[in-house]
Amino acid sequence: MITFNRAGKRFGTLDAVKDFSLEIQDREILGLLGPNGAGKTTLMLMMGTVYRPTSGAISVDGLDVVRHPNDVRKLIGIAFQDPRVDGILGAFDVLNWHLKMTTGLNKEERTERVEQVLRAVDLWDARKKRTWLMSGGMRKKVEDCKVLAQRPKIAVFDEPTAFLDVPSRLLMWKMIRELREEGSTVIVATNMMDEAERLSDRVAIVNLGKLVATDSPERLKGTTKGGEVLELIVGDGQAFPRELLAQFSEVRDVTQVENKVTVYLSSGRLLLPKIVETLTNKGVKIDSVHLKEVALEDVFLSYTGQRLE
Amino acid sequence: MSFSATQVKDSNSLPGGDSTSRLVLQMARRDISTLFRTPWIIISRSLAFIVQLFVFAYLISGFVVKFPNYFEYYAVGSVVGTIASISFIIGYDIFEEAEEGLLDYLLTLPISRRQFIIGRALGGAVRAMIYTIPMFVIVAVLEKFSNPLSLAFAVFDLFLLAFGVTGLSITMAVSVRSANRFDVTLALLELAVSRASTALYPLAFMPGYVAAFAPYSPVTFAADSARDVLEGTGLNLLGIAGLLAFVAIFLGLGATFYFRRLEGGVYA
Ligand SMILES: Nc1ncnc2c1ncn2[C@@H]1O[C@H](COP(=O)(O)OP(=O)(O)OP(=O)(O)O)[C@@H](O)[C@H]1O
Ligand SMILES: [Mg+2]
Repeated sequence: MITFNRAGKRFGTLDAVKDFSLEIQDREILGLLGPNGAGKTTLMLMMGTVYRPTSGAISVDGLDVVRHPNDVRKLIGIAFQDPRVDGILGAFDVLNWHLKMTTGLNKEERTERVEQVLRAVDLWDARKKRTWLMSGGMRKKVEDCKVLAQRPKIAVFDEPTAFLDVPSRLLMWKMIRELREEGSTVIVATNMMDEAERLSDRVAIVNLGKLVATDSPERLKGTTKGGEVLELIVGDGQAFPRELLAQFSEVRDVTQVENKVTVYLSSGRLLLPKIVETLTNKGVKIDSVHLKEVALEDVFLSYTGQRLE
Repeated sequence: MSFSATQVKDSNSLPGGDSTSRLVLQMARRDISTLFRTPWIIISRSLAFIVQLFVFAYLISGFVVKFPNYFEYYAVGSVVGTIASISFIIGYDIFEEAEEGLLDYLLTLPISRRQFIIGRALGGAVRAMIYTIPMFVIVAVLEKFSNPLSLAFAVFDLFLLAFGVTGLSITMAVSVRSANRFDVTLALLELAVSRASTALYPLAFMPGYVAAFAPYSPVTFAADSARDVLEGTGLNLLGIAGLLAFVAIFLGLGATFYFRRLEGGVYA
């Protein structure tokens, strides 16, 4: 189990992570979802003993990361957001060296594991190519493969599918799930809704260094008031009269980002014509209307006031 | 893809005790191997060294009359000076890794900070030794140094110097933040350590302000004790003690700075 107990990290005057408390269970896949600069990478690097927390405590399997960093390092494998690979080495050598440093495997066992993951991500033929000559996506796969081959007790992936094409993303998710089946606890930082929703057992939404909500994707969607979402694109530069919608008891919440208005409500199908009529009568110009089920991004929006696309 | 049924925990568990030293040696090997990526550098540097030595030998046979055996003095000292300069390179390597972020990765590997630094310093020192051994052989042949025991002691002196200088260089790499300041600091240190020393000229011939510092330079300790042992004057215990202190101070300091600086997140 991993415990963040009011953990904080201050860089100069900036609180990159603040008062962050969370427990992560064994063999769980936890998605850390948050916008750029939310503090996801900082959280993971504190857990991985690269940064020292400036307040609070973090423990991994009961081991405090500040007091027992060496023991913690033995449990963790991190696939960094920007690949951290020796550019002069080929993929095979990068992974083989990583396994030498992090596992007790012998040469044959290492070779077997490296071959297995490199074949799986279709990089076996390019295994000798220097990583600095690789494309961004290829290099990112090599970074992810470090942890996939290592199979650490705690596997950390920082934006594992950034730069990956669609088939590769699906494959990477599958491999990460298999890693969990093997017994790893997995933490994935992402700012992609579909990644958080489809990969994680549980999502922790992080914003401005703080934990704002955590639950399974399904339950998070359930907490959003109403269960339905009406998206309106209104004419530019208009102040949107939110109070007009307050008269409908089915409307639970209204948020606005630029000219996109999001209305959380129930019985949307019945209400839609009335809402449109009310607004147009007041001179609001409506460019488009879209009614849908709540998605994770709506939850995210209601908690952070931000949209990620 | 399907993983074979190797369990996560057991197959990975690093055996205790001697495996840690295995990891330290792996760390060292990583730095040593960079040398063999460009073997031509060793070859060309050795050739340049031979040429310089012969030119110099020819010149001083005419000029330097006050100091007997100056050629021998110079030949040993220039090997010692070279080893100090090469040992500084590890600091540049680590500074670059910090800037690229590779250092963050290395710091997540399962060894302590102290072991990490010892591994890197060892790698840097062995690398410097491999690089200078051909030069040392040339000097030994020219000067007819052939007592195996004294050769071994001289190599030990050189190694202590290399180990201490790598420690110093690593300490600088983690305690100076800006790249420009780091380059200047390291260049000045290198100059101070190797020039304000008895590597190339005896104390008696130095200007006073250099002679005041030169006795405390690690290069002086190494050059003097290597000469003493090669010339058969005996073991220079002061020199060896000085070198040991130098190694202990900078490897220790380097480790402390690693903890303080890097874990605050200055580099990322
Ligand atoms: N080493 C550092 N020194 C100073 N500030 C830092 C450092 N690392 C991160 N920060 C700052 O901390 C904040 C959080 O950064 P972090 O990288 O953790 O965000 P993130 O959630 O991973 O974002 P992204 O989705 O863009 O990767 C940012 O404002 C960032 O500029
Ligand atoms: Mg990040």
